Amino acid sequence: MYAYDTYDHAMVNARVAEFRDQVDRRMKGELTEEEFRPLRLMNGLYLQLHAYMLRVAIPYGTLSADQMRKLAHIARKYDKGYGHFTTRQNIQYNWPKLSETPDILQELADVEMHAIQTSGNCIRNVTTDQFAGAAADEVADPRPYAELIRQWSTFHPEFSFLPRKFKIAITGAKEDRAAVKWHDIGLVLKQNDAGEVGFEVLAGGGMGRTPVIAKSMREFLPISDMLSYLEAMLRVYNEQGRRDNKYKARIKILVDAMGIDEYRRQVDAEWEKIRHVPIDVPDEEVARIKAFFAPPPLPVLADDVAEVDALADSNFIFQAWLANNTGAHKVPGHTHVTISLKPHGGIPGDATDAQMDLVADLADTFSQGEIRVSHEQNLILPHVAKKDLPTLWAKLDEAGLGTPNAGLLTDIIACPGLDYCSLANTRSIPIAQSITERFDDMKRLMDIGPLKIKISGCINSCGHHHAGHIGILGVDRRGEENYQLLLGGSGAEDASKAAILGPGFNEDGIVDAVEKVVAVYLGEREDDESFLNAYRRLGPDVFKEAVYGTD
Amino acid sequence: MAKKITGPQLILANRLDDGRAVFLTSAGTWSNAASEAAIAENDAELDTLMTVAQAADLANIVVSVTPVAADTSGEAIAPAHIKFAMQARGPSVRADLGYQVSPNWEQ
Repeated sequence: MYAYDTYDHAMVNARVAEFRDQVDRRMKGELTEEEFRPLRLMNGLYLQLHAYMLRVAIPYGTLSADQMRKLAHIARKYDKGYGHFTTRQNIQYNWPKLSETPDILQELADVEMHAIQTSGNCIRNVTTDQFAGAAADEVADPRPYAELIRQWSTFHPEFSFLPRKFKIAITGAKEDRAAVKWHDIGLVLKQNDAGEVGFEVLAGGGMGRTPVIAKSMREFLPISDMLSYLEAMLRVYNEQGRRDNKYKARIKILVDAMGIDEYRRQVDAEWEKIRHVPIDVPDEEVARIKAFFAPPPLPVLADDVAEVDALADSNFIFQAWLANNTGAHKVPGHTHVTISLKPHGGIPGDATDAQMDLVADLADTFSQGEIRVSHEQNLILPHVAKKDLPTLWAKLDEAGLGTPNAGLLTDIIACPGLDYCSLANTRSIPIAQSITERFDDMKRLMDIGPLKIKISGCINSCGHHHAGHIGILGVDRRGEENYQLLLGGSGAEDASKAAILGPGFNEDGIVDAVEKVVAVYLGEREDDESFLNAYRRLGPDVFKEAVYGTD
Repeated sequence: MAKKITGPQLILANRLDDGRAVFLTSAGTWSNAASEAAIAENDAELDTLMTVAQAADLANIVVSVTPVAADTSGEAIAPAHIKFAMQARGPSVRADLGYQVSPNWEQ
């Protein structure tokens, strides 16, 4: 993991001191709310429906055990004993007091964390594959490059007041687990014919009220050019992105308006001007950053472990957990483990302070002290020896963290919705709870197979409904909560935009509609065909007929 | 001058210190119970309430002062729109926590 140097420490501590002064001045009335609001937002502090909300950055979703313990401590001391992991691999606290926020930020700074650039029209937390550095299908570990982007983008003077927020995702694996095509900029590590590693660069993706899948800017960008090329991309956007209408200010609108070819031409022209000034870091600095992410010294172990097989044979839940929540690791005899934060009937992404503490302890014991947060709102232990799986699973299960549903229908992404969020039109969490309760049968879930449901409580799409195999969008229908059903989206390498099936439903109706859609799939699928593939083959009509009838 | 109102209104805000949703009472204080909210039936009454509320804003007691439509048809006064009603009720989830089980959750 990256470790702060003296510059990082000084920068973050200075920011805490600055914010402490700003909060003090606000409490005394020396700053008006209008003056204070942009300052608090720059430190991740929102005012939501019932309280302030603090969004803490978890750079590219990577946490040490000690950092997780600190997050647990903050939940316990300053909040209500829980936190909410988000689709940007961050954590949100729902109940901090304004006057205590500087103390929280100081505690975070003590473990090399902060809340900088988790809000505002700047480059937000870079997200990546939750299995980075562990997954067997990886070309290269994306985290050193995510860290370089973090350092380049933090307090970047030119990009602190962009037309709108800006999100970058990066993956190094063949399977896109970071939804890169749904980002303002997506970077995919690839090897060219000469065996060199570089990036495919994508631009202009995004969700919100205008969902757009990113387009390819360059097939192959040498790693050494990454920052100068990003700088050129941001410069053109910063200069030409619309500032007259916040709904048309994202890069996706600009790229759509000028066309990807013209955007590329302008970026290339800008790049020619700046690429030879020292924006890109020297090779030795890249090597220094890479060293922080060196693979842990894992011993090569046997892949077949008799105790694991024996438990799987006798315990269906463990067998399901093994099938769904573990995956191929680079080092034989190891696996990465997805800790589901989606207990049936629970709140997607929520973890209590005790659960966070437990995950920290388990990371120390079983996973080299490392934890990841996925954009699907789960926690990951990236480096676990297979022989340890029975013990690990038992401890997780005892704490309500052993739900074997990763990647299945009940592994639902849901935004906080109208239970907390001041932007929301409807609640999201109770819909997720109702669906997981309706489908609370692991054998049925295993039979249904991979199916991603994503729920947003408003058009801002924090719940990624556009990318859901089944997407649910909450809308305000004459003052009442109404839920639209969308089908056929994907956030993976085969990214696609979900389409609205028909008129919306109330809270109960949407759960019934999901069940009808699943029933059509089960009746129509061919062999091992997944839900998404079946939908793509069948088209919407057969689902529409089942959900709305033939009249 | 406030906009011409078409029905009963109440004043909603968030406390500066902890962000808690609060309602202006007829005594000029702020309550976390919507049922204690002062109701404005006409423009003049709303102006009077807003003057009191904005003074509290300037005094750094509350932020986000907002007049919203009130539902006075039930046993207790409540905001009419679901978003503001949620602010009065608190989250519908985590019934074991929060002010949905205690009107004085912050204590």
